[in-house]
Amino acid sequence: MEFTWIIGAEAGAGSMVTGRTLAKVFARGGYHVIGYPEYPSLIRGGHNTYQIRVSDREIHSPVKKNDVVVALNRDGIIFHRDFMNKGGVLIYDSEIDAAGIKMPEGVSVFPVPLKQIIEQNGLDPRMANTVTVGMSLGLLGYPMEDFFKLLDKEFSRKSKEIVDLNIRAAKAGFDYVKNNFKGHFAIKFKPMKSDGKKIVIGGNEAFALGAVAGGAKFFSAYPMTPASSVLHYLAEKERDFNIVVKQTEDELAAVEYAIGASYAGVRAATATSGGGFSLMAESLGLSALSETPVVVFLAQRPGPSTCMPTWTEQGDLRFALHASQGEFLRVLLAPGTVDEEFYLGAEAFNFAEKYQIPVIVLSDKFLSESHFSTREFEPGKVKIERGGIEAKPKALKPMERFGRYKLTRSGISPRTFPGTPNGMHVATSYEHREDSFSCENFEMRVDMVDKRARKQKLLEKEIPLPKVYGKKDAHISIICWGSQMLPALDALPILEAKGIHANVIHFSYLYPLPKKIRALLKSAKNTIMIENNSTAQFAGMLKEFLSFRPNVLALKYDGRQFFPDEVADAVEEASKNKFRRKVMRVVDRGEYEYYNPALYAEVK
Amino acid sequence: MATLEDFTVKEKPQWCPGCGDYAINMAIKNALAEVGAEPHDTVIVSGVGCSGKMPHYLRSYGFESLHGRVIPPASGIKLANHELNVIGVGGDGDGYGIGMGHFIHIMRRNYDLTYIVHDNQVYGLTTGQTAPTSQRGMKTKSTPYGNIEDPVHPLPIALTMGATYVARGFAGDMKHLTGLIAGAVKHKGFALIDVLQPCVTFNKLNTYQYWQQRCYKLEEQGHDTSSHEKALEKANEDWKTNYEKIPIGLFYKENKPTYESELPQLKTPLVKHETKPVGLEEAMDEFI
Repeated sequence: MEFTWIIGAEAGAGSMVTGRTLAKVFARGGYHVIGYPEYPSLIRGGHNTYQIRVSDREIHSPVKKNDVVVALNRDGIIFHRDFMNKGGVLIYDSEIDAAGIKMPEGVSVFPVPLKQIIEQNGLDPRMANTVTVGMSLGLLGYPMEDFFKLLDKEFSRKSKEIVDLNIRAAKAGFDYVKNNFKGHFAIKFKPMKSDGKKIVIGGNEAFALGAVAGGAKFFSAYPMTPASSVLHYLAEKERDFNIVVKQTEDELAAVEYAIGASYAGVRAATATSGGGFSLMAESLGLSALSETPVVVFLAQRPGPSTCMPTWTEQGDLRFALHASQGEFLRVLLAPGTVDEEFYLGAEAFNFAEKYQIPVIVLSDKFLSESHFSTREFEPGKVKIERGGIEAKPKALKPMERFGRYKLTRSGISPRTFPGTPNGMHVATSYEHREDSFSCENFEMRVDMVDKRARKQKLLEKEIPLPKVYGKKDAHISIICWGSQMLPALDALPILEAKGIHANVIHFSYLYPLPKKIRALLKSAKNTIMIENNSTAQFAGMLKEFLSFRPNVLALKYDGRQFFPDEVADAVEEASKNKFRRKVMRVVDRGEYEYYNPALYAEVK
Repeated sequence: MATLEDFTVKEKPQWCPGCGDYAINMAIKNALAEVGAEPHDTVIVSGVGCSGKMPHYLRSYGFESLHGRVIPPASGIKLANHELNVIGVGGDGDGYGIGMGHFIHIMRRNYDLTYIVHDNQVYGLTTGQTAPTSQRGMKTKSTPYGNIEDPVHPLPIALTMGATYVARGFAGDMKHLTGLIAGAVKHKGFALIDVLQPCVTFNKLNTYQYWQQRCYKLEEQGHDTSSHEKALEKANEDWKTNYEKIPIGLFYKENKPTYESELPQLKTPLVKHETKPVGLEEAMDEFI
């Protein structure tokens, strides 16, 4: 069983909230659900969509074609009519002037008098979304109880009246379909057996929960799409989590607040996107030289500069690897799923504290803002390892400082927090001696550089091999990192149906890349690497650090992530070409534009 | 109880002979001893510049940050452990130039910390360029024909932005400065002390003599530190008299809840909270 639904409306029409609620309905019914928003950088106007994909088998990624399209504006019809499965239903508001719009073939076209339904039932015009969800459930013959419960959960904070009105709206939609839909829609399903422990969560929220599970007590940030919802979520929950969340005046401050809090003894993080990360670059070096741990969550979007703020890309990898002057150790992590956002998000703090370094967690708009059903995370599985902290250092002589930067064999020196007697030292951006006093002695400089670099050896032991999904000895391996694992995993069954057997090698630990990974990559027979950027940045890192080169590169950098069929097509083509070296570029051609819909909404 | 010696380090400060920074260093140490602070409960946060070296010349915890970034880490430290004495130390370039954004915003927040600005009207460590507080006409390496910009007036800004302890000191009067710093450390809220600090190498205009001839003490004139209006008037006196009359001392002091005290999470300092997270299970249920 599989079902895909999309709602398209003007920005500000509330379709995202409604869509997410519907996603939860199916998750409660035991199904796997993906919720996928697309929107332009506008508060009102433009075009917004929220897609829900539901399946009884495991799914990972949105797809391009829909079974049900709900169009609340004219653009909604024009933009989505060409991306419908046969036998689907196009529901649209009959207020829309659809004259002259060529309707898709092989689907039922179902204009609905939303305004009339709203008026007859005494509803608020903003409840059009809810009415259409009721209609969609009506088409599926899906029971409404879970939807009612969720409306109650969503709106009971506002008032009982709003809950009741929404329930009435959903029923009105459901009944309207029952009485008036004369077309054909074959997809029918009901809730499965479920233990009710399936959550629907976005990447940003999963990271936020992971950070808290990892013992983070302090979070500072400046708003920037697509990282802002980390700030929103933690700010909303700061009292429940008993943590401190601070919106600062800019990203320069955001990262330095976190570094300051970390120096004072709490686990601290910040979150931003590329532009803000640029402002934080200098402070990464401060974290490194003063050996003050910090975790920076970097939700990527297309660049350079402002570019396309509400879309997705994996273009900041090399920047994250090299940002800030000088040479220093850092860890780059890139969760591939919401589960990894949670568990790696928590682990990031262990790396930061044990090795006293900056850790960058790379996400992107696609993973950060899409919603995925998954099992409830298990905070009990998270281990908090804070590394060498001296709570009771031995007494200092008069005028003596604590040996904060002691030249140890591992490179890791003991830490003390302010407030600890006999631990006095300066955490400093200046090169220094073992007792932290500023120093420009050549030999000491080299000792300190080597000491800090030495930490990499121990750290590399903790970096696991990339995960292999599918058969270990598959004929073809799709190599990817971060979020692009999701469409790659969904490409596997498509390929399998065509008799092409592939697996996915996924990197979520991006740097350092220990040599032990090389054998695994070398054992792959035919390789294709997919990256959501134009210069194959991670392929470059694999070559640099592991002397490995994939046969084929498939790159997409149009502002969207790969879709499963695009990955499958690329693999199929590479396979036909016997994996001769090639760079393929994948583009969603001439579809439409959400920012200036009018330019593309000419009737054809 | 800690004495002056407890705040003293072996290393001799490496500022130019005669630099006003020596007096500021001494005044901070004296003030800390005077208010009964302990070296391990004190954090000196600095940026980059001559003032940036301060944490190394004083025995306590220290955090030497980046240029312009004194206030953000000091704020983070304070929010993580509000039982610490946190003292930010920066230059006029650091605080009123590259770090001006942070300076404006910290005063809206009233964190309980002290911010001492070494205001020498010139960039010293970078060998003598114009600074945000350089007076009109001043010739520097970057303004060889004389500065044609008006200077930043930090005290009126501080008063307008809601700082709850606003003072100006003079590095040529260490005892007076010590009193201002001690008062700032004891004050519950954000305290700014702008210190007129002669740069003996690169500022030939604003010398010790220059300030000595023009400065007078507010407390000797019976200034009312509870009046915002009077404070603002006095804070504008220097430039309005074309730097003929320059008041020093405490301009304004107000009791207002600190930012920390308004956060229910900070009944106990964040560093003393259990490492184990709370509230996660309930939070996860909201996603069902």
